[in-house]
Amino acid sequence: MQQEWINWSGSIRFTPKSIETPENEEMLVDLVRQAVAFKRNLRVVGSSHSCSQVFKTDDILVSLEKFADIESYDATAGTATVNAGMKLHDISQALLKVGLAMENIGDVDYQAIAPAIGTGTHGAGKHLTNLSGQVIGLRMVTGTGEIVECSLEQNPELLRAARVSMGTLGIFTAVKLRLLPAYKLHRQEWCTHIDDCLANLDWLMEENRNFAFYWYPRRDEARIRIWNLPGQGSTDLSFARLDKEWSGWSGEVLPTPQELRYDESEYSLPVEVAPECFKKVRQRVKEKHRQMVGWRILYRPIARDDAYLSNAYERDIVAITLHQNAALPHWEYFTDIESIFQAYDGRPHWGKKHTLKAKDLRSLYPMWNRFQEIRQRLDPNGIFLTRYLRELLVGE
Amino acid sequence: MKTLGKTTWAIPGGHIPLRSTGHEPEFTSRDELCLLNTSDQEANVEIAIFHADREPVGSYRLKVQARRVRHIRFNDLIDPEAILLDTDYASVIESDVPIVVQFSRLDSSQAEKSILSTMAFPAS
Ligand SMILES: Cc1cc2nc3c(=O)[nH]c(=O)nc-3n(C[C@H](O)[C@H](O)[C@H](O)COP(=O)(O)OP(=O)(O)OC[C@H]3O[C@@H](n4cnc5c(N)ncnc54)[C@H](O)[C@@H]3O)c2cc1C
Repeated sequence: MQQEWINWSGSIRFTPKSIETPENEEMLVDLVRQAVAFKRNLRVVGSSHSCSQVFKTDDILVSLEKFADIESYDATAGTATVNAGMKLHDISQALLKVGLAMENIGDVDYQAIAPAIGTGTHGAGKHLTNLSGQVIGLRMVTGTGEIVECSLEQNPELLRAARVSMGTLGIFTAVKLRLLPAYKLHRQEWCTHIDDCLANLDWLMEENRNFAFYWYPRRDEARIRIWNLPGQGSTDLSFARLDKEWSGWSGEVLPTPQELRYDESEYSLPVEVAPECFKKVRQRVKEKHRQMVGWRILYRPIARDDAYLSNAYERDIVAITLHQNAALPHWEYFTDIESIFQAYDGRPHWGKKHTLKAKDLRSLYPMWNRFQEIRQRLDPNGIFLTRYLRELLVGE
Repeated sequence: MKTLGKTTWAIPGGHIPLRSTGHEPEFTSRDELCLLNTSDQEANVEIAIFHADREPVGSYRLKVQARRVRHIRFNDLIDPEAILLDTDYASVIESDVPIVVQFSRLDSSQAEKSILSTMAFPAS
């Protein structure tokens, strides 16, 4: 019987013809080769936390949930090779046991590692890249069923193209990560008025290892979150009230448990224009969207990287994220604010809601054409492309 | 201290004004609950929101510590979903220990702010 697949927020629903959970690379290669032979379409899925249509297919859906171990690690070099379907939470726990940790993760740790990398998932911190920036090598099954490896040393261009590719160059089976010795962080949450938060933004972003703020549209207040190595960073924000603080291993204090379901839209802006863009967003929300929108807007700085389709490709950025309760309408809100993001050259998060298509995206990514050449070479039959992805990447 | 109040309260006349004038959050137009728990036990409170044109939404869950008072703006309730501004709604408040419930509205749509305050209906 065919089974409906529903993403985390509930806004993406589809019924694939089959759902496959291969146990090893050989079985995955077989699935891909059969898809090529029978002109089928095949998409791979992780934890279904994306709310864009990146993994939606009406044909074959593949889950790598059985690819869920640390393949190898080198504590001295600070590296580990991790199976592509392993969840970030499990990776943090397994690495801690051998004295290692990821440099940074996002707001939650429910995602699988390959999709988190492949959609440009990021945490918060002016000097920290997104998760794809922590990748130094990977292995994947391409659209012709070949197993291909690339790393910083071996075929580095392919690595730059593949890191953020939403599973359209190949299905990652393992990724090699650059890691840190296990470390503890002190997390603080401060409450203040948004005007005070904005007035102090520059030094807060500079002084703290990890920094983010939430703006609450129905109060005009902000919650500032900062994480630092013990004894470092800001400890006394005279303009704010300390609400909570605690310390622990990085993998425990970086993420925040998240039960309440929501849809989100996010754009990354050059760091220089982000405060001005945020102020426009704030003004528009207060004028036009407060009736429907009660939930926070998130502001997070991220360091530049060199992955071709990364939202931080060759520019330091700030990601501004809109949230809306899953049960309430979101498109009118998201598309209206999207026009502000676009006026500031914003690049959308690949795993969140946006309306851009290939024609709009091309000019935002200097290596767009090169990426497409590589994609066509690795998936000449387009078995990884769906209608949504064709519109997104090809523009037919 | 004697435990005062009831366990079920109702407020039929909810309507959060859309516009605000003045510095926020002090002057944000709002509907607000004031919950008084005089008992020696923490109160687990559940709020259901009723609408004119669709099924009720809830529960919105919150706690009021023993022998404490807590103010909550309906504007800020987002779990399970934000309450629409400028839209009629009603609320039913249930607590596992007796509490006293008061309702206030601050309307700053005009620069001359207006305040309304009333006891909720003690249903049981
Ligand atoms: C509660 C919540 C919190 C979030 N927090 C953040 C955050 O802090 N920062 C941020 O940037 N984003 C955040 N996101 C977005 C989220 O990180 C991304 O959408 C991420 O891709 C989801 O991972 P997943 O495992 O659910 O992947 P899925 O949504 O299942 O898949 C995402 C993409 O990865 C592809 N893929 C899956 N497996 C593979 C593979 N083995 N090889 C290649 N491609 C593959 C899929 O085909 C799809 O294109 C959040 C989302 C939610 C719901």
